[in-house]
Amino acid sequence: MFLDSKKETIIDSIELPKIVKLSENLYGAAFSLMKLLPARFIIDNAIKEGLINKDSVIIESSSGTFALGLAMVCSLYGYKLIIVSDPAMDDNLKRRIEDLGAQVEIMDEPGKAGNFQRARLDRVKELQRQYPNHYWTNQYDNPLNAKAYSLVAHLLVEKLGKIDFIVGSVGSGGSMCGTTMYLRKLFPELYSIAVDTHGSVIFGENERKRILRGLGNSIIPDNVNHSIFDEVHWVEADQAYAFARKLHREHALYMGGTSGASYLVADWYAKKNPNAKGVVLFPDQGYRYQSTIYNNDWLHSNNLFLSELPSEPRIVQYPEEAECGWCRIIWGRRMLEDVKLEGILGK
Amino acid sequence: MQGVFEGNDNVLHRGLVTLPCSFYNTKVIFIPNKSIGEIEIIPRDKTKAVIAAKNTLEYFNLDKIYGGYLIINSNIPLRLGLGSSTSDVVATINAVANAFDIPINEEEVAKLAVKSETASDSIMFDRSVLFAQREAFIIEDFSKKIPPLEIVGFNTDNTGEGVDTLSFPPVKYTEEDIDAFKILRVAIRRAIRMQDPSLIGKVASASSHINQKYLPKYKFNDIEKIASKTGALGIQVSHSGTVMGIMYDYKEKKITRDEKTKAAKALLNEIGFRKIWKFNTKCLEVI
Repeated sequence: MFLDSKKETIIDSIELPKIVKLSENLYGAAFSLMKLLPARFIIDNAIKEGLINKDSVIIESSSGTFALGLAMVCSLYGYKLIIVSDPAMDDNLKRRIEDLGAQVEIMDEPGKAGNFQRARLDRVKELQRQYPNHYWTNQYDNPLNAKAYSLVAHLLVEKLGKIDFIVGSVGSGGSMCGTTMYLRKLFPELYSIAVDTHGSVIFGENERKRILRGLGNSIIPDNVNHSIFDEVHWVEADQAYAFARKLHREHALYMGGTSGASYLVADWYAKKNPNAKGVVLFPDQGYRYQSTIYNNDWLHSNNLFLSELPSEPRIVQYPEEAECGWCRIIWGRRMLEDVKLEGILGK
Repeated sequence: MQGVFEGNDNVLHRGLVTLPCSFYNTKVIFIPNKSIGEIEIIPRDKTKAVIAAKNTLEYFNLDKIYGGYLIINSNIPLRLGLGSSTSDVVATINAVANAFDIPINEEEVAKLAVKSETASDSIMFDRSVLFAQREAFIIEDFSKKIPPLEIVGFNTDNTGEGVDTLSFPPVKYTEEDIDAFKILRVAIRRAIRMQDPSLIGKVASASSHINQKYLPKYKFNDIEKIASKTGALGIQVSHSGTVMGIMYDYKEKKITRDEKTKAAKALLNEIGFRKIWKFNTKCLEVI
């Protein structure tokens, strides 16, 4: 009943974010590892519903932190875990997940459409056949992913009271759609801003290789409910990295690149709307990016060092107009099809 | 706020947080008498108060010995959802205990009230609580009063016939509603702790919205528009009656408040509501 009533395992103690004041009207929700929350929530639910037993094999397709969160949960709970991933998963992350006892399979060939998502999902299907006693957590389409964030909504209300806007990156859709949905039960007018990156198909751009990782997607997960968003931003990798550094420099918050992307947008929106109180979600910490985002040599050699911070996004009418640079669109809580259709009719 | 909430036993219970209105009250005189075995009551139609008196005598093991005269004086309009019968019942229980000089605590009063009228508001407590109105226990004690509010109240039923609270069957809430009540509970806890009237307004509006699906109030959408047009904190409904209220911040300057409530009254008149009153935690006036 009370959020802090039991702090026993590492999961219990770190699954919820720390609420940090960033300016007069902006607060950060800084997670150690955000995906731990849906991973724990989904597995707890499977246990409660009798969907898994001690011999069950947990299967998931992930190249990022959901795999890590799930590996921590499965290690503590004692379940066998198989992660299907692709080369986007860095070696340190892979070794850490394996150290937690999980098995990691890296797909080395992209699927027919040229992306790894299809190949990963095909492999998941094979594993499901191979292990009849399995449970596929399926972060992209499992509504429990979004539901887990009701706990974040509760924490935000408990700590901040009335909230006027929320900013966060979208990848599986779980955190932003879940948190927004639950907060809107209390604050129906809450202004919700999604942060994506160019080349992600979630908000109607064409698919291409993404430099900024940890947000966006090459498929549209069921957990993305487009019609909850009031505004969508697309951000470049160098901008996101520069703002991650700013967050560290000015607030001593050591977060990852997606946090930087969200901070860029939230900082801009909060300054433009000084009478609105908002919160921005920071999904993971900076340790994985010590030798990249937090290393100027790496930034320079990859042409990702930004000497001047961007100050204003370009406003676009249709997702196709976005293409590059920091862009925003007034989404207006529309369905993706409606936004696309209006784009076609508008031209 | 009214809905279903998890108790310490991890089970869902029907519960409510009452909006108190100290202007409306009931005064009860009980005169015990050994020679009449019955409870004689004035006025005659206050049958729930008779049951409450009998239950209280029985609770004190005095029902075999005493009857008595019960005189009820209440200024609360009946059958609108203003809690007139809870007020009668609670005052009666206290009057009976008082007549015999037997101390009785709030929890005991709550149990006797619910036993007497099936479902009660939580007015026997001197502070805000999340009260299981059909089971007579505190689901959560908020330990403080709700922050000061000014309410423009009106009856959404112009026929004036009113309703019987118990004629409403208990609502069957959906999974989604139950999730919403969880965050409403977090919010009302903070609103009372921080004495934040605007957050109380959000909670009351959200609860009104959920319950509108089950016990719809006439012209609900128009009323909501009037609330937002006049700078209200939110709206509140009688969950088993026909009255509604538009809530304003009592800590605002009187001149600002008066402007807002006057505008609300005019707009409510425009959509056909005639009898409109105004109250805060202290007093009431007809406007």
